[in-house]
Amino acid sequence: MKIKTTAAALAASFGVTLFGALPATALAAKDYLVTAARPNLVFVMDAKERKVVKTHTIPNTSMGNSPITLVHSRDGKTAYVIHNRWETVSGIDLDSGKEVFRAELSGGDIRGKSPFPMDLSPDGKELAVYVNPTQLLPGEYKVLDPYIAIYRTDAGTDAEPARKLKVPRRVSTLAWSAKGDTLYAFSWDMLKLDPQTGAVKGKHPWRSWKNGEQGEPDTLAIWPQWEQTNVFATPYYVAYANKPEGDPSALRAGIWTLDLEKDTVHFKEFENAGVVLFSSVVNPVRRDETYTVYTQLTKVNTKTGRMDRVDLDHTYYNVNVSSDGKELYIGGTQGDIAVYDSATLKRIGNIRTPGGGDQVLTSLRIFQR
Amino acid sequence: MHRTVLSRTSPRALALAAGLVTQLYVAGAHAAAPASEALVNTKCASCHTAKGDGRWDRISESRRTPEGWDMTVARMGFAHGVKMTHDERSAIVKYLSDAYGLSPDESAAHRYIVDRTPSVVEHPENKLIGDTCARCHSYGRIAVQRRTESDWRKLVHFHVGQFPAIEIQAGGRDRNWFDIAVGDASVELGKVYGFESDSWNKWKAQQPADASGNWRLVGHKPGAGAYEGTATVQRTGNDAYSVSMVLRYENGTSENLKGSAIVYSGHEWRATMKSGEREINQVMTLADGGRALSGRWFESGYDAIGGVLRAVRADGAQPAVLSVQPAALKAGTRRRLVINGVGLDGDVSLGSGVKVLSVAERSLDRVVVEVESAKDAVSGPREVKVGDARSGEALKVYQRIDYVKITPDHPMARVGGNGGSMNKVPAQLEALAYTVGPDGKKGTADDLLLGAMPAAWSFDNLNKVAAEMKDARFAGRIDQNGLFMTNDAGPNPQRKYRTNNAGELKVTAAVKDGTRTVKATAPLIVTVQRFNDPPIR
Repeated sequence: MKIKTTAAALAASFGVTLFGALPATALAAKDYLVTAARPNLVFVMDAKERKVVKTHTIPNTSMGNSPITLVHSRDGKTAYVIHNRWETVSGIDLDSGKEVFRAELSGGDIRGKSPFPMDLSPDGKELAVYVNPTQLLPGEYKVLDPYIAIYRTDAGTDAEPARKLKVPRRVSTLAWSAKGDTLYAFSWDMLKLDPQTGAVKGKHPWRSWKNGEQGEPDTLAIWPQWEQTNVFATPYYVAYANKPEGDPSALRAGIWTLDLEKDTVHFKEFENAGVVLFSSVVNPVRRDETYTVYTQLTKVNTKTGRMDRVDLDHTYYNVNVSSDGKELYIGGTQGDIAVYDSATLKRIGNIRTPGGGDQVLTSLRIFQR
Repeated sequence: MHRTVLSRTSPRALALAAGLVTQLYVAGAHAAAPASEALVNTKCASCHTAKGDGRWDRISESRRTPEGWDMTVARMGFAHGVKMTHDERSAIVKYLSDAYGLSPDESAAHRYIVDRTPSVVEHPENKLIGDTCARCHSYGRIAVQRRTESDWRKLVHFHVGQFPAIEIQAGGRDRNWFDIAVGDASVELGKVYGFESDSWNKWKAQQPADASGNWRLVGHKPGAGAYEGTATVQRTGNDAYSVSMVLRYENGTSENLKGSAIVYSGHEWRATMKSGEREINQVMTLADGGRALSGRWFESGYDAIGGVLRAVRADGAQPAVLSVQPAALKAGTRRRLVINGVGLDGDVSLGSGVKVLSVAERSLDRVVVEVESAKDAVSGPREVKVGDARSGEALKVYQRIDYVKITPDHPMARVGGNGGSMNKVPAQLEALAYTVGPDGKKGTADDLLLGAMPAAWSFDNLNKVAAEMKDARFAGRIDQNGLFMTNDAGPNPQRKYRTNNAGELKVTAAVKDGTRTVKATAPLIVTVQRFNDPPIR
């Protein structure tokens, strides 16, 4: 369940002054964006004010310079980010910038890397991280079975997994159900795991998704951005074997959604594949509307298939949406997060992130305080 | 916070720091060569257990080209902390290439990947191997390695450990890539590109050839045309030589090259030469018991710019015609021909329909003749003879140019420069002229390639999207030698999406044939930098 409270109430409950700039009187919660950037930065932005209010530094990132997946606690207190060439997860206190959690995925002769999949339990108490371990033996590497490491978020800066769950290879997304009773692991199919035991409780077909003459749909789902709706959304491409070569409708594009509250799946093809689609988000108010970015911003009604599209001034990778569903925030490149009107797809502002480092493949998240 | 510069550098920068550039570090390789087995023990055996008799765990389960070994040895430096001087690294590469190399036969079909021939479109010979490996890098890269099945499998494990996105990226995620790669694909690799080979065993048993002496050479550099020249090769050590070369182009220019060469694996000639300020790399094969040398050369940093070369012994060689300039003669014309070769002593004969009017100059390696071709001369190849020297089919007589093809067939150029780490990659194009042959039909076996012809070059947008994006305006420019040079890398504020100067172009070559103009077009793709550009792609 999404926590929406006032800034003052939160400030009281956590005993801190939030961002220093908020008025003392109780106001309606505001939207804050949180993201990371090269080489080691975490930014917190006031969405409506269009400004960066906090810049934090991830400590000890000497192995790498490109943070990837970022997951925030729903109270907006902590952000967890994968960095160090995907071998470390750090939890950064978004008020103080202090590193309050750190898990090294590598150790001894094991190199552990997390290629994006990470999520926090709804109560914020457990962090699930997908790990690909490799044993570095003298003269050779040995690939070991992947696992999901479950950490307690209060495990500090020397965190070890509280438990490890068995999981198939090639997972690109982990997503906790809204109730916390299922951990979704997006492998060749969307698997439903018991977060305690890792037992596969079921799956939503993807590779095994049979739909007429369609082939295996393809997606790259590495952008977690479902916090406003609890609906996971990803664009996909799918080929049709029954269409002649060169027929534009032989490769179609669509949006696939999974409701993390209701455990229901919905998919909608909306066009012949023609443009690159990177990541999608669902509008929390008009819940049939999804938005997808790359060099275009595309709005798709997933009920009717109606599509609207505008060209962007440069490439963007990730998209998120304001709590009132009115504003879209798109980011990823050139230290530039643009703001668009979700109804008209008109550009209404932007936020420049300092430091010159791009977000690249990190996440663009949103929370309220 | 403060960190060392090294900690913030990219893997590419580290690779460059380690000298993993597009060519072997040749100078100095001979110096430490005799101590190489001991050096392998010192540098490698702490991880790769020595098994005695010049064998080590992993190391002696694969065979490679010198570039292949250099890439591995360099990686041991930047990824595993092995400390080596340049000379030590060179000596290890030399030793391993000699002990665990490829025979000439084993790499013959895939020289393009070793000599960096630009814009080659591959057609993987083995589908499973192609689908498993060649979606990310070239098929040729695999085909110039030999490993035991077990070592191919270990290479798969290395890939997943080193490149963790391999299973979720495009080209990998549609399959159970790891299971396939360690399973059927490793078995297939062990069969098709297995470690054991008669060809290598026989080759290795031969006495190494000595390349020292005087050489006569001919060649062709796209954009500059044919050349001929000489080389002097002096032995300076074990398989090591100093080399000087003179190249005289048909356009009247010439260049002098000086440098050094090393022969790896008994035939892999690698030379680094200076031509004025430019550095030239030669990737060639020493063949025929040290009597022939052939391959490609290219400029350091600009490997699309280069040429092919063929050389034979000038001293005591069999008489031979190596080339004729120009190589094509239109029927009903009179002109001067230069015949290049060795032992050119005797009458000149140019075949039917071509009359020698006079001999303007002659020496044993070069004969210049005034010739006239009959108006009714039949289109076709002619054997050129000078005394006992024969050419094969060095001269082509033609009635008309029937069609032109642009080569490479699918040229690709890359934006670069602009303060970035990667040079621009130009595309050097040529217009190849053909006659259709006796059957009068284009594209049949009797079509005759006349060679590269001067052309007027131009380009336009390839398609509707390119036109909308104004690719032709932004992607680059072409000169009248067929050299397409891209524009700067980086976002371009003048372009839609502020995109870079990539583009899809259609390039046109217009070749004059008397009063006629014969045109050809080809798609020219201008794309982004290849930030990871190892010696073997």
